[in-house]
Amino acid sequence: MKFKKCFQLALNIFIHSKLRSWLTIIGIVIGIAAVVSIISISLGAQQQLEERLGSLGADVLTVTKGMQRAMGGGFGGGEGGPGEGRGSSISSTTESKNLTARDVTVIKATPNVKLVMGQISGTADIAYSGKTVKDAKVNGVDISIWKDITTDTIDSGRFLTKGDSYSVVIGKNVAGTVFGKEVSLNNKILIAGKSFNVVGILEEGSSYYIPIDIARAILEDVGEKDFNSISVKIADVDISNQTVSDITKKLMLSRGILQEKNKDFTVSNPEAMQETMKETMSTMTLFLGAIAAISLIVGAIGIANTMFTSVLEKTKEIGIMKAIGTRNIDIMIIFLLNSGLIGLIGGIGGVILGIIASSSINSLAGTSSGMARGMFSSSAVNIQLIVGALLFSMIIGMIAGAIPAYRASKLNPVDALRYE
Amino acid sequence: MKQESLIKIENVWKKYDMGSEEPLVVLKEINLDIKSQEFIAITGPSGSGKSTMVNIVGALDKPSWGSVCLNNQNISEMSESSLAFLRGKTIGFIFQQFNLLPNLTALQNVMLPMEISDEPEYIAKKRAKELLESLGLGERLNHKPNQLSGGQQQRVAIARALSNDPQVILADEPTGNLDSTTGKFVMDFLGRLHSQGKTIILITHDIELVKYAKRIIHIKDGRIEKETTNTKWRN
Repeated sequence: MKFKKCFQLALNIFIHSKLRSWLTIIGIVIGIAAVVSIISISLGAQQQLEERLGSLGADVLTVTKGMQRAMGGGFGGGEGGPGEGRGSSISSTTESKNLTARDVTVIKATPNVKLVMGQISGTADIAYSGKTVKDAKVNGVDISIWKDITTDTIDSGRFLTKGDSYSVVIGKNVAGTVFGKEVSLNNKILIAGKSFNVVGILEEGSSYYIPIDIARAILEDVGEKDFNSISVKIADVDISNQTVSDITKKLMLSRGILQEKNKDFTVSNPEAMQETMKETMSTMTLFLGAIAAISLIVGAIGIANTMFTSVLEKTKEIGIMKAIGTRNIDIMIIFLLNSGLIGLIGGIGGVILGIIASSSINSLAGTSSGMARGMFSSSAVNIQLIVGALLFSMIIGMIAGAIPAYRASKLNPVDALRYE
Repeated sequence: MKQESLIKIENVWKKYDMGSEEPLVVLKEINLDIKSQEFIAITGPSGSGKSTMVNIVGALDKPSWGSVCLNNQNISEMSESSLAFLRGKTIGFIFQQFNLLPNLTALQNVMLPMEISDEPEYIAKKRAKELLESLGLGERLNHKPNQLSGGQQQRVAIARALSNDPQVILADEPTGNLDSTTGKFVMDFLGRLHSQGKTIILITHDIELVKYAKRIIHIKDGRIEKETTNTKWRN
């Protein structure tokens, strides 16, 4: 029998199937919907993660004080300047000495290191147009190096350069919304009571960058010589792990630390962090996918059950078809296609429901805050995911229907004809 | 001219294993030679082994012992697929219960054996229409079996049996579920098919129907009890 005819007969069985088959399909719809929504949300979150981590710059390492043991927090802030944002997502548990100019010198002498910049950050009240923002984070940067080491990009104006004193570069979020009135280039803002001229606006972020000398003078909670973090630009990204190791060894020696466990500083490698986060995300996706797959297995068992019953109900028809010349293999193909169709129709329903579900979760995450807003505010439903889900559901249907189809094909025509 | 042998049954036994009990022997030492273009009736009381004979003669079942040759091919040595192909091409079945596929229309039911034999769809459709129209069902092509009367269903079954232009028509109690008028129509139609050169094998317990056959095989307790010739058979 031609494949087309087998398909027509399988479709005929499907069209005339009873409520039982449709209930089975609902099982597959739920399973596929769960898998599609979880994968699409995970893919969306991965894309967000890659975008945000990518902005950290793969060639910039950051040295911070304290031994960092755990990573947490979110990537939703969209900060991105060296030494900022990263520190906030990591909890330090070891009390330690500040980073010093000596540390900067030691790092400069490390192979593969191109540029080194010490940075401080503190809090200050900032006022503009009659509105004051309390305890805003202000960064002091080395104006001779900053524009070469930062991963931020300028939206308008310029970076801080030599000769700047009471000049400030602000993030786009600050310029747009914080003061209720837009901050433009050459506007004056008050930082800790001092007037600063806005010389540049970054493409994103909510930070304030001022020359480090001025920052030491006006910020209360920073030392006279110490740094909160040191940004290190490396020449060859491929050996970043080796450079991290070299810097760690040199700093341990210089700071008189003999054992790794007593280390009071951390060298962060964005590349390695990105890998770790991606792996964590993949593991999470796999875990959630596995949970969703359980519902698919239940759905597949439902298909197998329906197919066994269907074969039983159609025993006499199978006998008639065999009597008029249908071969065993054709009977098997008809029932396999039938179960594949059940899977496919369930898959189509599942994909539609999955897209609706992931969109709903995106909308909910969009109205929330923090990590959820950052990670789950977009889903990635692509054609590969849709085709993959449909193929997967059809194959599941066919696998579930394989044994019933084989049994149908092996029915004795005499016994089948006699079946009532 | 001597007619050639179409179905040759030699020393056929059929037994069914009954687990721990003695096997049930349904057919014993059956020898039968059915020639091409014969009209033969196989008759006997209920439980005599008629149905098993239908299955063996129709190549639906294989014997436990002995040989059954259909067109000089021993069915015992054939694979399931080859047997199905041979059955589809050589034998047209007419059952007492009509045995139409309930979800297909009359036209689709008649087209099916041709499509199984890989006949192009347009040829199958044309022939199926012709057959149904010749049986007076031109207005019922797209009706499903449950929308047809018993007589109409049996006529669809006859059209289906003829669709592949088989050499043999095997009719198992074809009038069992029909009123006398429709039954007579069916038997007359079988008679016409015989006169057109088809080999007809009629299985019945109805003594009135055997008059249509030329040769009558009486079965009792699984054996051929006697074989007679019907001199009253109408040409």
